[in-house]
Amino acid sequence: MASTPRFQYTLGTPAYRTYKWLGFGLLALLLIIVAFAYNDTGSIALLDNDYKISVTRVTKAIAFMVAILGLQVVAGFTGQLSLGQGFFFGTGAYISAILIADYNWSWYLTLPVVITVCFLLGLVFGIPALRIKGLYLALVTLGLAAVFPSLIKLDSFAKYTGGAAGKQIDYEFVQPSWVPLDAVADAFHKIPLIGSYFGDGEGLSSKEEHRVWTFIVMTIIALACFKMVSNLVKSRPGRAIRAVRDNETSAAVNGISLSYYKTMSFGVASALGGVGGSIYVAELGIASEGDFTQLLSILFIVGMVVGGVGTLSGAVIGGLVIAFVPDWASSTQSLPGIPERWLQGPTGGLILGILLIVLTFVLPGGIISGVRQIKAKFVRVTPPRPALVAVGSASTSTLSDDSEADSGPSDAESPTIADDS
Amino acid sequence: MSDSSAPAANPTRSGERVLDVKGLEGGYGQIQVLRGLDFHVSDGEIVVILGANGAGKTTTLRAVSGMIARTGSVKLRGDEISSAKAPDLVRRGVAHVPQGRGTLPELSVEDNLRVGAYIRSDNEIDADIERWFDVYPVLRERKNQRAGSLSGGEQQMLAVSRALMSRPTLLLLDEPSLGLAPIIVAELFERFAEINKETGMTMLVVEQNAQLALGVADRGYVLESGAIFAEGPADELINDDAIRKAYLGV
Amino acid sequence: MELFLNRVSDGLSNGATYALIAMALVMIFKATTLINFAQGEFAMFGGFIVLVLATERGLPMWVAVVVGMLISAVLAAGIERTLIRPFDPANHLPLVIITLGLFLAINAIAGIVWRFDPRAFPELFPSGNALTYGTATLSWYTVGTLATIAVVSGGLTLLLTKTKVGLAFRAVSSNLESSELVGIKVGPTLQFGWAIAAAVGTLGVCVFVASPFRQLEPQVMVTGLIFAVSAAALGGLDSLGGAIVGGLAIGLVQSIVVPYSPIPNELSLLAAVVVLMLVLLFKPSGLFGTPQVERV
Repeated sequence: MASTPRFQYTLGTPAYRTYKWLGFGLLALLLIIVAFAYNDTGSIALLDNDYKISVTRVTKAIAFMVAILGLQVVAGFTGQLSLGQGFFFGTGAYISAILIADYNWSWYLTLPVVITVCFLLGLVFGIPALRIKGLYLALVTLGLAAVFPSLIKLDSFAKYTGGAAGKQIDYEFVQPSWVPLDAVADAFHKIPLIGSYFGDGEGLSSKEEHRVWTFIVMTIIALACFKMVSNLVKSRPGRAIRAVRDNETSAAVNGISLSYYKTMSFGVASALGGVGGSIYVAELGIASEGDFTQLLSILFIVGMVVGGVGTLSGAVIGGLVIAFVPDWASSTQSLPGIPERWLQGPTGGLILGILLIVLTFVLPGGIISGVRQIKAKFVRVTPPRPALVAVGSASTSTLSDDSEADSGPSDAESPTIADDS
Repeated sequence: MSDSSAPAANPTRSGERVLDVKGLEGGYGQIQVLRGLDFHVSDGEIVVILGANGAGKTTTLRAVSGMIARTGSVKLRGDEISSAKAPDLVRRGVAHVPQGRGTLPELSVEDNLRVGAYIRSDNEIDADIERWFDVYPVLRERKNQRAGSLSGGEQQMLAVSRALMSRPTLLLLDEPSLGLAPIIVAELFERFAEINKETGMTMLVVEQNAQLALGVADRGYVLESGAIFAEGPADELINDDAIRKAYLGV
Repeated sequence: MELFLNRVSDGLSNGATYALIAMALVMIFKATTLINFAQGEFAMFGGFIVLVLATERGLPMWVAVVVGMLISAVLAAGIERTLIRPFDPANHLPLVIITLGLFLAINAIAGIVWRFDPRAFPELFPSGNALTYGTATLSWYTVGTLATIAVVSGGLTLLLTKTKVGLAFRAVSSNLESSELVGIKVGPTLQFGWAIAAAVGTLGVCVFVASPFRQLEPQVMVTGLIFAVSAAALGGLDSLGGAIVGGLAIGLVQSIVVPYSPIPNELSLLAAVVVLMLVLLFKPSGLFGTPQVERV
């Protein structure tokens, strides 16, 4: 370890608290900027290509983030992959869509229904968890993901789901009158140099207002989900499960029923998937089976791995990656040196597939581990007194609670499922 | 394994060190079990490594065989093999019968023997298989049965025969008595002695059953917590009171 | 009755393809307890190679198939060597992720190179019927697919029981450590398994699309994989014979279920997944698999 990091903090000190609040403040500022910038579909032009970004796309990414968060729970607590998060995502989307379109519910009220139903479904499919170690969940969830579009189109369900045509909802998220969206937008517009990205200074149209407000609502919900998972991970049962995850004897001796907790965590993961779907359909306005194919489930895995398996920030990165990469890849119509023919077609899939493979070799802990390694060169946080840090326990597929005092610059090891030696 | 027509020969021992180990260290991940072992096995000897559970006996054998990461010098007839991987060892004439027999349960008895000769490309393989069926008729009876369906003792016979199918010059045996009934174990060790006598096969045996092991061995080492606690000729070890009390349960 | 016989005939010929892909899955699973989620894409890619060889290079159909199988075997061997072998076989997570990455990448490459419009695939078997009974017909196609399974099954059996590499493969599938101890090099042996699996898979896709009712396109094996996984699970994930039985069974389930839905695909996929769930729930080792697959 060449140089000592420039910034050192000890947990619990006022200096550390300031550092943390600074971080949160920056994050909040970033969110606000995102909310108001590119409110309408903006785009970045690079090399003759037009890359679209907008608040709506970011909201979609949020939906994905919550779904991937669910995957992180499964991976972190059970050490397994679920290949069917798309199933629960789609289920949540359709439940919300049906309740809103056919029964005039408010979107907010559909959430508890979605959570309950998806949680129970998760229990049902996860109950025989670990029948075949490692493989059961992957195979069952693979089947679920594959069959979802078919279920939607089945005659007996089609009358509720709208079948292949999809289920449209006409829902507006209207902000309470005390939220000064117009004022904030105009304030941004006045900032020299970058003001032009923030609308036209004449207030927001109601459509724009709704978009921003939707984004704000979804961000709050997503933050709540992340906080919940973070608490889960830090809780006593949470830490206990992570500690004995792969050791049945340890678990039994400590009075923990691994099967129970693993099933429950799959329930939680499924519920999160459902919430993600609800967010998605709220944003998109329509639930259509073509959006919820096997491919989506695989994309969620890609997001999780690219972001960083078993980490919370990894879910955020992953959501952004899968929301934007395929889109931008198909927007890339010309790159110097590459024949056009190669840029048409599913380049997004190709990029993600290659990314997945390359990351497994080079950065198995995902992007977040790279970020942490870089960050570790500048900042170190130490616990208040010498603690017994488990040697070499940079095992990444335990859900890290992102508390920085965990394990310094690490995460260079391959995440493992059942074998964590 | 000799022809019944030729008299049982006791090939002269050359005194050469077949296996010479110095400063062997190794373990599992963060846990270093072996702490610098020095031992050797000379041509034609039966050497035994004894010790309590957890002393590191199996780890030692696995280290020699290249099944775990190790440092130190391991020489086979003067050639350094400390960087060799497990599949290469057998090509150099080392056969390892792992703990628990290590039979291939889904394969037939005959296939187990055949796979023992994997590295050979001569045409005497079938003849050797027949010979082992002669030595252990019960294997011939069960030659098409799944090896996993054999009893513990039968599997041990199979494992040893399989190891010898590669015509090794050094045989490593990891706790051959484990899980076997005393009568079978006694027969087993008699057989080891016979093989050694008839062919001069050099053997390194790791055992918990010290009494029997020292009965057939030339020399022994006693391992404790990954280091060698005592060594010497077998009859001396077996008569040493301190060792008897501490390790041999006598 | 005759309608039923026709359905059985259809079911068997579909089942033959599932059986072949299932055999490919089982080959790899036996040796590594890994499910190669990209197996369907390997097979589809191989199918396109065969198509190119037959239509653009003008090779006779069966020659194209054999050459295509060889090429896909070589490609798979290369993939094993570069992407799979560097990882500890006991640790499944990176390997599963790699197979998922391969799934995406290979599917995308096929889409980029060959686009997504379905292509007609030349027939492999004589057209027409071998037998007729009233309005029931047994097409040469069905006979051909079943004959293909028989030949592949026989070939694999010979390969595994009578050759040295086959023995090594069975040994590695049974006990990895002991295999190393007798001098078997695990890497190349697994590579052999991957190569054979790819070749068998390619043949499976060829047989599937060589029907006048089907065409080759990059998405052909995306749901096909699910059928194959169900078939393999039903038969027992480590049993090659089981894969055949499972494949034919799933094919029959699919064709007998068809009449009940105007959108055949939907219900038959559902049926296959239900079979998969039931197997995993009640008898995870399938019909012929070894129970050690179950958690003790």
